[in-house]
Amino acid sequence: MSDPMEEIRASYFVECEELLESLQDGLQQMDDGHDDSETINVVFRAVHSIKGGAGAFGLDDLVKFAHRFETAMDEVRAGRFVPDSAAIKLFFQCADILADLVRAARDDAVIPESITNPVLDTLDEMVGTSEEVEEEIEFAPMVLNLDLGGGGASGLPDLPGLPALSGLPDLPGLPDLPGLPDLPGLPELDSALPLPPASPAGQTDNSGNQLNHFRILFSPENSLYSSGNEPLYLLRALRDLGEIKVRCDTSTLPGLGDLNPENGYLSWIIELSTEENQTTVREVFEFVDGLCDLDIATADDTALIAENAVAPQPELTVTAEPDTSAARLPDLVPEIADILPDVTPEPEVAPALDKEPEPMDTSTAEYDAQSAAGAQSSAKATPTQPRATVRVDLERIDRLVNLVGELVINQAMLSQSVAETSLPQNSPVQTGLEEFLQLTRDIQESVMMIRAQPIKSLFQRMSRIVRESSAMLGKDVRLFTDGENTEVDKTVIERLADPLTHMIRNAVDHGLESTADRIATGKEPVGHVTLTANHRSGRIVIDVTDDGAGINREKVRQIAINKELIAADAQLSDTDIDNLLFLPGFSTADKVSNLSGRGVGMDVVKSAILGLGGRISISSVEGKGTTFSISLPLTLAVLDGMVVQVAGETLVVPLNAIIETLTLTEDDLRALGPQTHVVQIRGGFDPLLDLGAELGYRAPKDSYIGDIVLLIGQEDGKRAALVVDAIEDQRQVVIKGLEASYGRVAGIAAATILGDGQIALILDPVDLVSEATGRTRVPPKHLSIAG
Amino acid sequence: MALRDQLRVIVVDDMSTSRGLITNALDSFGVRNVDVAADGHGALQKIAANPVHLVISDYNMPGMDGLHLLHALRSNAPTRGVGFLLITGRADREIIEHGKKLGMNNFVKKPFEPAGLKAAIEAIVGPL
Repeated sequence: MSDPMEEIRASYFVECEELLESLQDGLQQMDDGHDDSETINVVFRAVHSIKGGAGAFGLDDLVKFAHRFETAMDEVRAGRFVPDSAAIKLFFQCADILADLVRAARDDAVIPESITNPVLDTLDEMVGTSEEVEEEIEFAPMVLNLDLGGGGASGLPDLPGLPALSGLPDLPGLPDLPGLPDLPGLPELDSALPLPPASPAGQTDNSGNQLNHFRILFSPENSLYSSGNEPLYLLRALRDLGEIKVRCDTSTLPGLGDLNPENGYLSWIIELSTEENQTTVREVFEFVDGLCDLDIATADDTALIAENAVAPQPELTVTAEPDTSAARLPDLVPEIADILPDVTPEPEVAPALDKEPEPMDTSTAEYDAQSAAGAQSSAKATPTQPRATVRVDLERIDRLVNLVGELVINQAMLSQSVAETSLPQNSPVQTGLEEFLQLTRDIQESVMMIRAQPIKSLFQRMSRIVRESSAMLGKDVRLFTDGENTEVDKTVIERLADPLTHMIRNAVDHGLESTADRIATGKEPVGHVTLTANHRSGRIVIDVTDDGAGINREKVRQIAINKELIAADAQLSDTDIDNLLFLPGFSTADKVSNLSGRGVGMDVVKSAILGLGGRISISSVEGKGTTFSISLPLTLAVLDGMVVQVAGETLVVPLNAIIETLTLTEDDLRALGPQTHVVQIRGGFDPLLDLGAELGYRAPKDSYIGDIVLLIGQEDGKRAALVVDAIEDQRQVVIKGLEASYGRVAGIAAATILGDGQIALILDPVDLVSEATGRTRVPPKHLSIAG
Repeated sequence: MALRDQLRVIVVDDMSTSRGLITNALDSFGVRNVDVAADGHGALQKIAANPVHLVISDYNMPGMDGLHLLHALRSNAPTRGVGFLLITGRADREIIEHGKKLGMNNFVKKPFEPAGLKAAIEAIVGPL
């Protein structure tokens, strides 16, 4: 991409995805009842920014749509239109179309106006906007006299930069401009004070020299810091207004051990005596509006405030180890005192910390609970601030992942050869190697983290699926999501989109009852679908839950019998019946609906999940609902495997496929047919497969008594017992793809390099079992003779 | 030495696309001393550390919009005289009037062509 415009264009589309995400977030928050101006602003700004970029690249369709959407959002922002839930639904629809338009523009596709226009017309009708006429505004540019000191070539560096600029642009020229009654604003530029408010309102009671006393409680939220604001500047700005006394409230400051460096724990109590009025004082905090708890009271109200004060510190003892907090405090207080000489730090804070921590009394506990709840709700209401990021070509990351994989292998080989030299355990080489091992693991983990992304983008796609499918089915459905910041490998996220889409559709279509049925059973008419993600023991678990009728097991069983999937007299547990849903070609819908009946069944979902090294399970309570639970590895680059020996070959079996391992006894084995065995395990019979024979390493053995078998779980709930010669190790292996070089090999998923440099194949147990011959018995001898 | 070689500019926009478009345009007519900032606060910090002649800022930005930035620049002695060019998607009378009051030097409406940007800058600082 040598053309810079091409590059900017490409980055525009990446940026659009981020904007679309915050648009979705904002709308969701509006839908949840947060109608604060910042939320609406975020929504407006997202549409506005998409439009702005689109204009620059001449993407006219996108500009046209975004413009009308933006106009509508502007009405909301200005408070001229208060959206109800129907309106927000329409906004969501607009956001979806906007997303489609962005992607269409990116891929040079076209979305017909027949799709966009009806929505826009509904929007205009609802919000009551009309095409506004762009008014011509007269504006005379103000010339700046740059004296760039024509001296030498090095002119600029000598100049302190700005003093060379001749002061303010034509101030005298300004009064001539029409429609500018309150010019007092400009002359005051000479003073370092902030300008009086732009609105002429605040200037009335400003004349007298009477001092106003304010008591200001200022508690920054974390977002204040993360958005680059600095309380110190605000305190300084207050100081410029008059006399101030600042007290820092450190009562919520935890000990070092519990301290989250990303969080702010301090709040300030400021007493200000100033000639300015409250509006001016409040204006100091204008830029952090919504990013802090702010309470400005005049001195008369102060008594009241003191009573309600969030945390009067001496009484509420800090619940932290005295050592650490005391250590933290000294370097904190002088710091503030240094920079703000007028500030007198209240002495009582430090003594309070010197005291032994007392057990939390109830009022403290209550306060903590409240503030925690407050923090939570405000965290929800605050729009996510963009974090500083770097965009990197995925190929480069993959290359790094690969190299680190090599490093891990190399490190394992080195360890092994050192181990073979019979060096003493505490030799410097050994200890150095251990540190090396630790470092390699850390590097590998960090590199994997680069590929990790929050699952949020996927969840947002799902909320669209819910909206569309519920609209199509005429059901009222609400999607709840939790854990959207859970991070997963990018590839996993991409490959999860299809199966998850299907599961969500399934939950809306089959899981939830019709609205009428819900009302009849006394349920809330609005169906709930919940999508949650969280990390559990090195894997990510995603749950799709509906509060529908649950699986009708009798019906499932009957269908399975009708379709001859099970025997009529089969004894099945509830779980067995639930798992029938994953059988190929199973569909419980009486009539094939437009939505789920697309020839894609849960069996396809299951094999997609298994393809990602995952597992899927169902739990269902009749009348209460159903949960599908997916558990996935965090990355596709490494895998937990069991290293086994078969006929002199080393193989790796993915750990997630293995149910258990056991040693065969004579009682376990049963012959079945001329060439096959079954193994009796816990009352069930499973086919015995000799891995050596299946892979062509050797002929079936004469006897398997005493051999080790791995019990493998298959995707359709079937199992098989794999005979191996020995189990060597259980470890994480780096996956090396084979398909690029050798094509697909039946039964083999990939390869890896072990510590001794040996290449080992990683088995695909599901594939292996489905292609198995099952030969575990040597054909009777007379056949050989006859042959 | 031409003005364009000496002029120091900072581009303030929350969208990297817009920053790219503006710096690209500046580059096309030879203004190369260009710094960028993603928001008003970042811009103020950068300007404090590294004074500039001209601030080219977007209007609609989170936290601190273009006019708030202008206000902050004009209320601070060292930056009071800096040139300020507002880039805005909507040239509402309200915005422009407010900008005038605060001492905005000029504005450009989005979308703009490099030539339009150049003309707007030249109206402030003279021929590049």
